[in-house]
Amino acid sequence: MKEYELFIGPQHPGITGNMMYHLWVDGDTVTKAECNVGYLHRGFEKLMESRLWMQNIPLVCRICVPEPDVNEAAYSMAVEQLMDWEIPDRAKYIRTIVLELARIAAYLMAIGSYAGSIGIYTLPQWSMGDRDYILDIFEQLTGARVYHIYIWPGGVRWDMPAELPRLIEKTLNYIEERLKLYDDVLFENRVFFDRAVGVGKIPCNKAIEWGVTGPNLRACGYGYDVRKLEPYAAYDEIDFDIVSYPDLGKFDAHEAGDVYTRMIIRRLEIEQSIAIIRQALKKMPEGEHILKHPNWLRWKVPEGYAFARVESSKGEFGYFVVSDGGLKPVRVHVRGPSYTHGINVAEKLLQGANIADVSQILFSLDICPPDIER
Amino acid sequence: MKSIELLGKGEEMHGRAYIKLSADEIEESIKKLKENGFNHFVMLSCVDWLDKGKFELVYHMWNYEEKEHAMLSVDIDRNNAVMKSMSHLFPQIETYEREIHEMYGIKFEGNNRLTPFLLENWPHDPPMRKDFDSKKFVKQMYESIPFIEGDENEGI
Repeated sequence: MKEYELFIGPQHPGITGNMMYHLWVDGDTVTKAECNVGYLHRGFEKLMESRLWMQNIPLVCRICVPEPDVNEAAYSMAVEQLMDWEIPDRAKYIRTIVLELARIAAYLMAIGSYAGSIGIYTLPQWSMGDRDYILDIFEQLTGARVYHIYIWPGGVRWDMPAELPRLIEKTLNYIEERLKLYDDVLFENRVFFDRAVGVGKIPCNKAIEWGVTGPNLRACGYGYDVRKLEPYAAYDEIDFDIVSYPDLGKFDAHEAGDVYTRMIIRRLEIEQSIAIIRQALKKMPEGEHILKHPNWLRWKVPEGYAFARVESSKGEFGYFVVSDGGLKPVRVHVRGPSYTHGINVAEKLLQGANIADVSQILFSLDICPPDIER
Repeated sequence: MKSIELLGKGEEMHGRAYIKLSADEIEESIKKLKENGFNHFVMLSCVDWLDKGKFELVYHMWNYEEKEHAMLSVDIDRNNAVMKSMSHLFPQIETYEREIHEMYGIKFEGNNRLTPFLLENWPHDPPMRKDFDSKKFVKQMYESIPFIEGDENEGI
């Protein structure tokens, strides 16, 4: 049969943001896929080299739109490594709570957009609505809904208001109730089984070599999570389990590394995050929330190389920061999880896939183009 | 640290192994680390040291079992920026090399996919180089657009 070329994106509802895939199709089977990015390139890394250490905080959060807090945390941690700072205990717990709330918000967005890609249009409306309740918490805590500019080198910007834990608890209870409805509509839905099982399989023996991280790696049967491997914030004092294939709780385990398993892992991690936040709220100590900081305008960071990594909802987020002892960084390089998932992994998974499965494979990898382009 | 023992050199820096290598040693070193549990290639970074006249390439590798992060650093000459491609060792290195080729102008021999990545139709100098002045560039580019005479609303 004659081969056709098909362009999906950058303006297409079945694509994960402003990026494009160039597909070569034979009938309705994809024979080759090529990722084309560049629609979101804003030159953050170049810009960061000409701004003061502190001026970069409002910039880094814009690198990942659905989950900005991981960027602030990773950048701050890298700077703290260079400064040799140990942040106050209360700040560690507040960071944990903020990062987990952001994770739930990002998972809700991921699950909703995935459901949309297989034609279940109820869930995107619900999950985006429910995510807004988490944004309400952020608004009370930080004053902003999406980009919080809250986690700073040395701690967090403001202390948590005394009445906030009640609002958080109320929201968590609400989301827990809503998850039951999510199960009815998507995770226990026949349409989901029929569409997702066995589709877009990452070969498990290749997963680590291909640079797959986060929930996508845990779906392949590796229980690796940065929160356990290199505990940051207060994760070493909190008791939680890593959800990984084949231990999928109340859901049936089918094949490792396919679309089904990847989405079920995300669903189960929302519950895990809720449990982490509840523990952190209980254990949170009193005290300072930020170290006494230097004058930001004349703040020099000691010379050296630092690398900090955090676990985002999409995978491993890493910041490589180089300083020459000056007022500005020499180089900040961001490792976004979508860099591997969206380009090399997606190009390989799409080969041999059906056109109708292209968008569900992309959404199940949870690709976010801003962290490819920075 | 295991990576420093394996390669016989390097120092610890903020909890990470920082190992300075020459361009000839890098392929063997990455292979050796990969065989010994450093099976996750985190990223490939490039730092432009303008005053020292060199580019520094940093290969970040992670060992899940030992929980160790190794940074293998190679210096290459700024005026003759050529490096051997490592994309046969880990597939994602291909994309990192593509980006560095575009942003810093380093040529990677053996990488067949050094096609435009983020920038398109970019005739100017590689933009991430330290001697590329973005403010000057913006001024030249956007203040040189000729003023169009006539009614402002005409033709809109």
